[in-house]
Amino acid sequence: MIIFDDVSVTYRGGVRALKNVSLTIDDGELVVVVGLSGAGKSTLLRALNGLVVATSGSIKVDGIEVVGANAKTMREVRSHIGMIFQTFNLVNRTTVINNVLMGRLAKVPAWKSTLGLWSADDREHAFRAMERVGIVDKAYVRASNLSGGQQQRVGIARALAQEPSIMLADEPVAALDPVTTHQVMGDLQRINRELGITTLINLHFLDLARHYGRRLIGLRGGELVFDGDISQVDDDTFRDIYGRAITPDDLLTDA
Amino acid sequence: MSDAVAPVAVRPRKPRPQLHTYLLVIALAAFTVFAGRQIGFRWSSFIDIWSNPFWGRFWPVPWGWVLDRHNVLDALVETFQIAIISTTIGCTLALPIGFAMSKLTTPNTPTFWLSRTVMSIVRAIPDLLWGKLLVTAIGIGAFAGAWALTIFSLAVMVKLFSETVDAADERPLEAARAAGGRHTPAVRTAVLPEVFPAFVAYALYVFELNIRASLVLGLVGAGGIGRVVETQRATFNFDRLMGILIIMFVIVMSIEQVSVAVRKRLV
Amino acid sequence: MTAAVDQETGEVLTRPERPLAARNWRIGIAVLLIVGVMWSFSGLDAGLRDVVEAPREGWKIVKEMWPPAFKTVYHRGAVGKIFESLYVAWIGTMIGAILSFPLSFLAATNIAPTALRVPIRQVFNAIRSVPELIVAMVLITVLGLGPWAGALAIGLHSIGTLGKLSTEVIETSDEGPLEAISAAGGTWVSRMRWGMVPQVLPTVIGYWLFRFEINVRASAVLGLIGAGGIGGELVSQLNFRNFPEVGAVLLMVIAMVLVIDTISGFARRRIIAGSGRKIDDDETGRTVNLIGDLGGSGLTR
Ligand SMILES: Nc1ncnc2c1ncn2[C@@H]1O[C@H](COP(=O)(O)OP(=O)(O)O)[C@@H](O)[C@H]1O
Ligand SMILES: [Mg+2]
Repeated sequence: MIIFDDVSVTYRGGVRALKNVSLTIDDGELVVVVGLSGAGKSTLLRALNGLVVATSGSIKVDGIEVVGANAKTMREVRSHIGMIFQTFNLVNRTTVINNVLMGRLAKVPAWKSTLGLWSADDREHAFRAMERVGIVDKAYVRASNLSGGQQQRVGIARALAQEPSIMLADEPVAALDPVTTHQVMGDLQRINRELGITTLINLHFLDLARHYGRRLIGLRGGELVFDGDISQVDDDTFRDIYGRAITPDDLLTDA
Repeated sequence: MSDAVAPVAVRPRKPRPQLHTYLLVIALAAFTVFAGRQIGFRWSSFIDIWSNPFWGRFWPVPWGWVLDRHNVLDALVETFQIAIISTTIGCTLALPIGFAMSKLTTPNTPTFWLSRTVMSIVRAIPDLLWGKLLVTAIGIGAFAGAWALTIFSLAVMVKLFSETVDAADERPLEAARAAGGRHTPAVRTAVLPEVFPAFVAYALYVFELNIRASLVLGLVGAGGIGRVVETQRATFNFDRLMGILIIMFVIVMSIEQVSVAVRKRLV
Repeated sequence: MTAAVDQETGEVLTRPERPLAARNWRIGIAVLLIVGVMWSFSGLDAGLRDVVEAPREGWKIVKEMWPPAFKTVYHRGAVGKIFESLYVAWIGTMIGAILSFPLSFLAATNIAPTALRVPIRQVFNAIRSVPELIVAMVLITVLGLGPWAGALAIGLHSIGTLGKLSTEVIETSDEGPLEAISAAGGTWVSRMRWGMVPQVLPTVIGYWLFRFEINVRASAVLGLIGAGGIGGELVSQLNFRNFPEVGAVLLMVIAMVLVIDTISGFARRRIIAGSGRKIDDDETGRTVNLIGDLGGSGLTR
């Protein structure tokens, strides 16, 4: 269970990216976060795994306080949270399996991973993760030689190799074309259903949000302006969240 | 349109170079003249060094002497031994220190500043002075030369390498941290693969520098081919010196070709 | 592909074969390096004990250098010698810059005919491969001991390194402006003067400054063979094992080098920034440093 309680984030330089956000997310939920660019979506996700430090308030992940946690606790919390990035954030010059094995970093002693001594068990975990997203046959291919959609699957496999209980995806399909977008979103939805991993996805496209989401969270200017079931959502809701009328740019497919 | 109807055309004035640019050029020219006076600059020297008796001393090269193994080859082998040891050890040490010298991969500032300061001081001392210092400390011979070039290799390598790390992509590193990785393994898995090809390229380059440097290290008693250079110069056998220089030229050019080829494969 | 069986479901899973070529290469190179180092070590006339002993000896000397005897070396004229090193480096750089710049046009693929280009390049390469110190020891026999021989040696050597670098800058320059001048009926001279020189000069001056930084280090050792500068003082103090004096001179050398590096680095950044080209510190720093000392392997691009 994830509990945000009155969380605010102020960046150095004074930008208030989150303002007094409170929300609770139950285990196994799939939550889609929408909002204009700069609304604070990334900040929300990053505050959760401590990549961004919350300035005030409390964030509890499975009962552990993240705000102000020491390095060891932070690593422990992060080890249960997989993260998927808009730009994939792969190590391009190495193989897919080496990328996926990075998801095992928290599970093995530092000296072993530093020397690259991964156990058969770690490798098997990596293979299972790759299997989930259908890239097992690419295991020994250099990451840079894959297509965008395949690269994002490596990113998902890396997160899965952590055996996470929570998955954060920060605009995972923003760099992909429509067809691969649906494949990757489908992967994420399937993983959420089959493995029961709590999943938070930042999305830019409203139709995608509607299609894949169950619960929708809307951010505007760092404030939580909507939190409800996707079935209650209509165009007016989006207009509220965006503070303007919906344009074709907000949709993946022009319909 | 006729010329007559443009009475009030405005023409921007040509921007003059600023006064301080002129002053700077004048100051530098004055400094050059002054410095030249101080060290005894003579135009005539440019003609003197073309004089025939001078160049006659370099030619013909006594190849019989040069190719005799006791005269040059033994010392050349020593040069390679020194270069191999110093390059390997210097570059290996440079790996962790180079990471410590980059903002991207260094978590705490004291490590960053300390490594940077120490390394820029080490680099401020030329290779030959390191040779002289180490010969004084641990005695004449190739061992001192190997120490000197190890230090030199380290200093050159950390500079090149840390600049490459600075420019590396930080996003994979963030991914490794987000997965709960500790600092060292995160750097190892997320940054090292990206910068390693450059590291190898630099190592080959450092090897080449070390081979070049050993041509003069013998002057201070630090072994290698420079030992032969020193004895031949003391006896003014410039023809033999010429032979040695030609051999070194061939060796260095070959290494350069090899490292260009290797580099092409790596990137 | 190899097969693995899922323990829970009994499902047969396929696993791609791990390619061994890369790993074998890595192991091969590691073995080669280890053998190479061991062979090299065997030629050094030193035991493992010496390896431990050497840092201790070194540290002993460092301790003896403290406190540095600035007073003594000052009275022996060390400050003057430091400046002499600086003059030597400056004049050497000037000679190298002025002579190499026109030559590098004649060595560039996009300007000079092959018959001219190839020999000039070979001259650059040949000059580059002879260290300043050796040039100096030869020049001394004609010009006599003293800083002038050192400066000329540095100058000649710099022709090779600067020539190579400037040639590369010229070769990678943009043709557009040259074509525009031709189209407007410009002559070869005006193409060079208005199309080429303004394009390449900022980068080339950056290289000159960088060469100056290297030459400052080079001039600090020329004294070793009597070619002027602070090196002579350092060597004689070392030979007499006057370590406090050595410490003082060494600190002066370090200070000189660091001060020059700082000023010159600042000037390099200013010039590149002022030229309006999008080259940041990265490129000044990196490309230039790559070729670094002693002038380069193909790492110059
Ligand atoms: N590292 C940072 N430093 C300063 N300001 C930042 C930083 N990251 C984001 N911001 C600012 O915080 C606000 C929210 O950003 P973000 O969470 O990235 O929004 P979104 O992901 O919804 O586009 C924006 O105004 C952005 O400019
Ligand atoms: Mg964002």
